[in-house]
Amino acid sequence: MSLRISEAVIWQETGEGVSLYHTETGDFHSLNDTGSRIWKLVASDGEREPVMFKLSREFAGSSSAMSRQIVADVRDFIGTMIEQGLIEEVPSEKAEKAAT
Amino acid sequence: MSRAVVLGGGFAGVLAAAVLARHADEVVVVEGDRYPSGPRPRRGLPQSHHSHVLVAGGARALEALLPGTVGALLAHGAQLRGLPGDALILTADGWFRRMRTDAHLISCTRGLLDEMVRRRALASGAVTVWEDTRALGLLGDAARVGGVAVSRRGAPPETVRADLVVDATGRRSASPRWLAEIGVRDVEETTVATGLAYATRLYRAPAGLAAAIPAIMLHPGPGPGRPARGATLFPVEDGRWVVTLTGTRGGEPPTDEQGFAAFARALRDPLVADLMAEATPLGLIRPYRDTVNRRRFFERARLPAGFAVIGDAAVAVNPVHSHGMSVAARCALRLGEELTRHGGIGPALFPGLQSALAAEAEQSWRMAVEADGEQAGAGTGERAEGTGAGAAERAGAGTGRDGAPRREPNAFEREIRTRLAQAKLSNPRIAAGLFAAQTLLSDDTATDRPEIARVLSGRPEPLLTSEEAIGQYPGLAAWLRSRLAAATP
Ligand SMILES: Cc1cc2nc3c(=O)[nH]c(=O)nc-3n(C[C@H](O)[C@H](O)[C@H](O)COP(=O)(O)OP(=O)(O)OC[C@H]3O[C@@H](n4cnc5c(N)ncnc54)[C@H](O)[C@@H]3O)c2cc1C
Repeated sequence: MSLRISEAVIWQETGEGVSLYHTETGDFHSLNDTGSRIWKLVASDGEREPVMFKLSREFAGSSSAMSRQIVADVRDFIGTMIEQGLIEEVPSEKAEKAAT
Repeated sequence: MSRAVVLGGGFAGVLAAAVLARHADEVVVVEGDRYPSGPRPRRGLPQSHHSHVLVAGGARALEALLPGTVGALLAHGAQLRGLPGDALILTADGWFRRMRTDAHLISCTRGLLDEMVRRRALASGAVTVWEDTRALGLLGDAARVGGVAVSRRGAPPETVRADLVVDATGRRSASPRWLAEIGVRDVEETTVATGLAYATRLYRAPAGLAAAIPAIMLHPGPGPGRPARGATLFPVEDGRWVVTLTGTRGGEPPTDEQGFAAFARALRDPLVADLMAEATPLGLIRPYRDTVNRRRFFERARLPAGFAVIGDAAVAVNPVHSHGMSVAARCALRLGEELTRHGGIGPALFPGLQSALAAEAEQSWRMAVEADGEQAGAGTGERAEGTGAGAAERAGAGTGRDGAPRREPNAFEREIRTRLAQAKLSNPRIAAGLFAAQTLLSDDTATDRPEIARVLSGRPEPLLTSEEAIGQYPGLAAWLRSRLAAATP
């Protein structure tokens, strides 16, 4: 499954990180540094793996324990965003192509 | 023989009586006042000197209760104005553009409205009205109300047996005390202060402009901490206008000639002052201060069988929302439905009756206390704005959607809030949703979310200047220009 930012979300990168407005719930959210980084990667890459890969390269260096932690954190963060309807899962393009 | 007694023959009382007449052998309305001989204000109804508009949801309920009444009102000079299609509204966020929606209001004096409604409600002859007769208390016990004590023209109390007593004595209803006297204690009461004061005057409109103008509403400007001052001008029957000035604590509108004019002149736009200056005052400037939101939760008490409360006696909201009469009409309609459903006045009717009546007032109550209360409904910047003048708006910050305290909004949040607030001024779908809720046409106060997403992703519509806003009404704009030309040497 690919990831995409919900069409109901208006977002902007501000000096303090990423700020979001969910037009369906009327809720505002502000993401911290890490959250903002993940959000922007989801926006540009649209897949879980490259997001996790890029972040662990950025933050974990060669530490595999750190790397596992980052993968878990990213998974949690994305899970919460999906639950809140901010990020959506969509059938990935590759899978779609394979099916047709 | 079944008999229903309605206490108070105001708006809610006569409508309730008309409904009850279809289900009871005898209906008596006990009214403390004397009805005037024409469409005039009266002593028992101090608010009848002030502007009263019937919003679309109430007009619809009134038509269902007494078909043809709205047409008769219009035939007698009441004015129908679309919202915001025939209304010039300056909100804290700017001027509304003209847009056609289903929402509207009917504007006439309260005197005319009451007379037309009363005449039709009592037309069948099935209802007897005792004027000059005060209700003094209830007869019965905590399990069953069996009648009322009344005094006719100050005579010693007499008792009247009843199978159903409906209290419709308005804002100052003594029902909590009357119930306590028969052993029903602790009717919960909630009040939410408004701090809002009214001052109203009638005018004879200048020739040619009387009914040709839109309804005009100037809401207070943005910014908490300052008194909220506003005004409305509604055209009413017989070539007259009714002007109401409103102000919260520290900014109450004066009731002297000069102060009244100066208050209107100092508002965010001088339009109402300009119109007042060219119109002929009719009678005194009347103050009104009892504008608190007050709800008595009779539905939560263990009410005795044979008793119900309707209208302002149960739920009275800040008049700025212009809901009271419409809620009363909806409650009367619901009373009729409950009577039909339960086979008339009998034991099956009583247990759920008060909850059913309260449900009809719920939306109006919620909107009013959200606007006036601490939560101020400000989380999303989509506040209720009354069709009346004050529509106390507050800057949209400080609380989240759930009312929980939250940090100061950042620049992004402020921008979204401003754009949301401004979107309603020009977007027909958003405006239609907003006014449908405000005029009680829909009880869905939820906003058109997909439209909001669309609006926020596009370019914002420019705000109208005062000239552009007034220019949407060519007749009014031409009149203002000619006035200016006449004043320029
Ligand atoms: C300043 C102001 C402006 C308003 N503007 C609007 C508006 O624009 N639109 C709108 O819909 N609503 C408006 N309202 C609200 C509206 O006036 C009320 O909601 C409406 O009148 C409620 O009707 P009611 O029958 O419950 O009470 P009322 O109309 O107040 O009638 C109560 C009746 O009971 C009688 N009575 C009282 N005590 C006794 C007793 N002990 N025995 C016998 N009779 C008694 C009174 O004489 C009166 O006739 C406004 C209110 C105010 C104060």
